[in-house]
Formats: sequence, C-alpha cells, structure tokens
Amino acid sequence: MPDVEMKDITMRWGNVIAAEDVNLKIQDGEYVTILGPSGCGKTTLVRIIAGILKQTKGGVYIDGKNMADVPTEERDIGYVFQNIALFPHLDVMENVSYGPRVRDVKKPEWERISHKYLELVKLLDKMKMFPSELCGGEQQKVSLARALSTGARLLLLDEPLSALDARVRVDLRYELRRLVKSLGLTTLHVTHDQEEAMSVSDRIVLMRSGRIVESDTPETMYMRPKSIFAAYFIGETNLLEGSIKKTDAAATTVELRDGTLIEVATTDFREGDPVVISVRPEYVYPAVAGIHAIVSSVTFVGTHFRIVAVADSDDKVEFDVPATVEREYNKGDDVNLTIDKRSAIVYARTPGELGEATKLE
Amino acid sequence: MPEIRLEGIRKRYGSIKAADDLELSVKDGEYICLLGPTGAGKTTALRIIAGLTEPDSGKVFFDDHDVTDMEPEDRKAVLLSQSYSLFPHMTVAENVLFGPNIRNWSEEARIKTLANMLDLVRLTRRSDAYPKELSGGMQQRTALARALASGAEVLLLDEPLRALDARLRISLRYELRSLAKSLGITTIHVTHDQDEALVMADRIAVIRNGKIQQIGTPIEVFERPISPFVANFLGQSNFFQGSVTYVNGRTEVRDEQGRTVAAGTANVEVGERVAVGIKVGNTEITKEHDGYLQGIVERTLFEGRDVFVDVMVAGLGRFSSRIPAGRSGEFSVGDKVSIDWSPEKATVFRLKDRSLDDELRVE
Repeated sequence: MPDVEMKDITMRWGNVIAAEDVNLKIQDGEYVTILGPSGCGKTTLVRIIAGILKQTKGGVYIDGKNMADVPTEERDIGYVFQNIALFPHLDVMENVSYGPRVRDVKKPEWERISHKYLELVKLLDKMKMFPSELCGGEQQKVSLARALSTGARLLLLDEPLSALDARVRVDLRYELRRLVKSLGLTTLHVTHDQEEAMSVSDRIVLMRSGRIVESDTPETMYMRPKSIFAAYFIGETNLLEGSIKKTDAAATTVELRDGTLIEVATTDFREGDPVVISVRPEYVYPAVAGIHAIVSSVTFVGTHFRIVAVADSDDKVEFDVPATVEREYNKGDDVNLTIDKRSAIVYARTPGELGEATKLE
Repeated sequence: MPEIRLEGIRKRYGSIKAADDLELSVKDGEYICLLGPTGAGKTTALRIIAGLTEPDSGKVFFDDHDVTDMEPEDRKAVLLSQSYSLFPHMTVAENVLFGPNIRNWSEEARIKTLANMLDLVRLTRRSDAYPKELSGGMQQRTALARALASGAEVLLLDEPLRALDARLRISLRYELRSLAKSLGITTIHVTHDQDEALVMADRIAVIRNGKIQQIGTPIEVFERPISPFVANFLGQSNFFQGSVTYVNGRTEVRDEQGRTVAAGTANVEVGERVAVGIKVGNTEITKEHDGYLQGIVERTLFEGRDVFVDVMVAGLGRFSSRIPAGRSGEFSVGDKVSIDWSPEKATVFRLKDRSLDDELRVE
C-alpha cells in the first residue's frame, strides 16, 4: 500500500488561507485522522490529495511519485463522503460492482470482487436491495465497499460517519477500523469528532486555521497534549490560571489567583512564570482540603454526575462523581477539590492566549 | 407558557406508522427531549405539534384548548429545523425582525425587541452580518432569536445541535438549555443523541416506531428502563437471556448452558423467560476473582477518558465494559477475564414470546 506525503502545501482562496505550509507524511498502512473544527482546512487537504483541488503551492507525493500531473482517476484512491452518494436506481451489488465494470473488468471477476467487499462489510445478504431500502449505516457501508472495489489502495474518508445517528456511528467506528486494517489500506480520515478520531486512528493530526497544531497517537494526544488548544479540543479539561510559586527537582507549586497553592509534577518553569494548569474532570476529586469552590450545577450524565463549581480563584472547575456515591451535591454547596498531580499539565500563559485557545467557532 | 398534550395521535405514511397512538404531556416551561433513532417518528410528532402536519386522528391541546385544526401561525409554537432556514439575503437584524415586520409592529416595539433578542443570544455586534458570514452556532442563535421575536411560547427544536462540530455541540448544550429555561418557554427538543438528552432534558421521552416507550427524568430512564430497547438506547447495555430460577429480593437467571447470573428485584415468576440488561458502565471485568461469566478479551477501544474493553463470551456473544483509561494497561487482546456486576445494577425484562434482537433493533 502507498505512503502519502504532503510537502509545504498552501492553499489560498483570494485572501482566505485554507491551508498553510502543511507538511504531513502518512506511512504505508497507517490510519491517520485529521481532526479540527469547521473551517480548519481539513477537507481542503483531502481534496488536494485526491486531485480534486489544485494547491496554490507545494506538492503531493504518493509512493514517492509527484502527483502534479496525475489526474484523480489514476491515483488509486477510494473516496467516501459524509453525504452518502449511492446510485439510487442501482441495487447494492450494482453499486459496488460499478467501479470494476466501467473499467471493463469481465463478469466472473467483478462478481468475485464485489462479493469480497460486500462480505467484508457484512452485507452479502442485502445485495439485491436498493439504497432507499437500507438504513443510513448500511448505506454508508455500501459506499465503503464501492470505494474499495475499484482496487483503491489509499482510502480517503471525509466525515464518513457524521450523517449517521449517534448509536450507529459508534458501532461503525469499529467496523471501519477493522476493515481497513484487515486490508492493510493506507487511510486518511477527516473528522470534527474527537471521540471518533481517538477510537479509529493510529495517529491524530490536529489542525486549526489551516495549520497543523500537533500530531501524535490518540493516547499521547489525550494524556500529554503539547498545546492548550489540543488539551481543550480533544476531550474536556479544566484550565486553572496562576503563576509558579516555587519549583525544584521533586515538584512544582503553582499559586492560583486567590493564593491557593497546587502541587504538580516538576516542570522547567521558573518562579513567577505565568502558567495555566490543565487537568481533566476525571482527575479532579472531592477532598477535605484543597481548592475551595462553590457548586454551580449538577447534571446527571449516566453512570456519573457532572458537577460544575466555581473556585475562589474564579476558575471554573468541572469534576465527576459516580452515580452510586452516597453524598448528594446541590447547587450552592461548598466543596474542596484536589487534582491528580501526575495528570495535570502546566502550560505557559501569555496574555489573551487562553481565550484564543478555547474559542471553538 | 402553554402546556402541551397529545392524545391518541396517529399518522401513517403508506405502511409506516410515524405516530401510533402517541400520547405525550408537557408541562408549562418544561424542557422535554424526544429521543429515538432515525425513523422513530420524532420529527412527525414535532410537526404535528407545530401544525405543519395533520394527524390522521387524535388531538393536540395547548393549555386545554384543542388546536388540532388551528393554523400553524396561530399556535405560537415555532419549529426550528436542523438547517435553521434563515433568509440568506437578510442580515441578522432583518431575520430577527421578520415576524414583527409582517405583523406591523410599531417602530418602538421593533427596536426594543431587536435589542433584547440580540442581547439574549449574544449577537449584538453581528447584527449587520449575513447568515453565510456566521458560524454554525451563531446561525442557530439567530434562528432562535427570530423564533422568539415573533412571540413564540413553545419552542420545537428538531436536532438543533446536529449540524455543529462535536466539541462545540457539547459546549452549546448547557447554553441552549439555560436560554430556554431563563425565558420559561415550553421546549420540545428532538434528538438521536442520548448524551445530549441526558444533559439537557427535564424529562426524556424515548420514542420508537411512533410510540413513546418511556418518559421520565434522565435518572429514571437511565437507571430504571422499562424495556431492553430503552436500556440499550440510553447508555448501551449488555444482555443475558435465560429463565428465572429464583426470586426473592434479588432475581437469579440461568441460561441453557447452565450459567447463572443475578439481578435486582423484579416482578417475574420462576420459570419465566427473561433478559437481564447491564449497562456497559456498570459491567466490571476482572482477572482477580470469578464473576458471573468468563470470556476472552476481543478488542479494546480507546476513547480518551474511557477505554471500552470488549469480551467474547462463548455461546453468548460480546460483552462490553467501560473502564477509566488509566486502567487500560490491565487488559490485552486474548486475555482470559471474568465479567461481574452488582446485582442491583442489573435489570430484568420479561421477554414473553418476543426475541431480544427485535426488542433492540435500532434502525
């Protein structure tokens, strides 16, 4: 299967920069997800790789070969879109065999190919049905089988699950990853859904405003994000503003705006540096002492309650308590909170950056 | 704000029953989520309340007034579709004032309403922008302001957050709910997203095949589901089928292979065929002691704060467990593990002659 490389890709529409100096290499057989908010340029990148858009600057290389003069249909790409685009007047089998047939593949062969992919997506028993007779999840599986039956070795998925119901979406994530991994395909998947990105990919590439912010495995991206934006966009997090009180080889102490001291794992910051502590709600616990806060809302979210509290330092702190816990929390209650110091990450705080990092639209 | 009541609503499209004796009662100022899969009849219910779809039979009441034959514009109920349907050639201010303008409000009333509405949805500084210049969230807030400016007393929201980015959607849940609550407006919000419903609703009505299966507070429908479908649609459940062997305080159920599991108390009789449902979040997997079932770890799925561990149980199928990501190192694919749960966290459902698969079918 091919590797794909984007070198210094820039894409401009008049004054609008959709992508700027993007460098990205996808290994043979790797499943990479580009994650980012609407308008970050992720779909633009996929279209450039497919050859549907021509970049303003830079080059796309598939297996080391420059694609500048290679038209879309010769790039061996399977493309699946958010809006399911099956031929409504053709049945499932005819949809899936469409690619091989327009390439003049003869009957026993196209039948064999179509069977293979319909079996992989577990829809062999529905091959005589028309798209309108299938549910959304099944239609999207047919789209996938159709994309693969052309002999594609590189799979481009543009929000393939976004149009589906929440429950169906979760089930299909598994299927998608299982399928591309069993075929060893190189895959580039674009999504705005962080959970989807974490559960399907080998590697996540986080984008914002046309640029790659950072790129890493899902686990590292969630546990040790390098930027405040990544910490905030991928999963939920609490951001506590303060400055470094003291630091040594054993630990770093941060002073919040009300004077509360919080100890975290040691950092390279120096005394007085303005910082932000990022700590996920699941690593904040009620305690007898620590950050004092007043509960502002309590929401049942299934197996736990999500509690939002406002600390004396004015920072908003969210944490979860299991639905089985005896103590009942109510709006207005006093709470004391501690954080798991190994899970907290300290970032440098520059004026205005926090607001910028947490802007979602 | 009005109370809403649906009585015996039926609506058929060919052989499909979009509303099948639908009964629903919504209190003044209440925020209700109508939760169900695609094709369950959610949008049909909303359109019937708005007066945009005429039911085949049944009645719609607003505050005890029968409005079944009343025109949509006389109902003071506004339906906001997924796509917001703003007028693309009008600015935010012009969109918001659309209702007041066609009703010939005084200049003074218009200015005051506009200022109030824009302030409410935090779009005062964008009043001259056109819809295409706004983000998805802003377009939605404009649509909301337009609905409210025309004097809506009932807000009917059809998947209001669907078109937005996943991360933004989570932030806007609280905002939308608190806006509706602060106005005291009666709201019916249609969604297929169980997390959204849990977080936003005063009460959740779970709808399937044109019928309300269960209605209750988020805690009630989550912790005391009345059917396998509700148990699985809210918070995903694992199921065990068998016959009741013991009832007294707790219930024991044995399957054909002789495996016995325990569940909470239930109104069932010994010998009866039942399904036991256990929420994924209440399913524990362990290597430390023997649980109810034994299996092999088939796959793990990282999702950030949680990891889903799927265990294959011979002759029974897949059991999923959700554990904190910090514990994910304990289990690898191929490991032999035990599955356990607290009996009071497992719910017993009478199956009678129905099949569990049919009970659970989502699409």
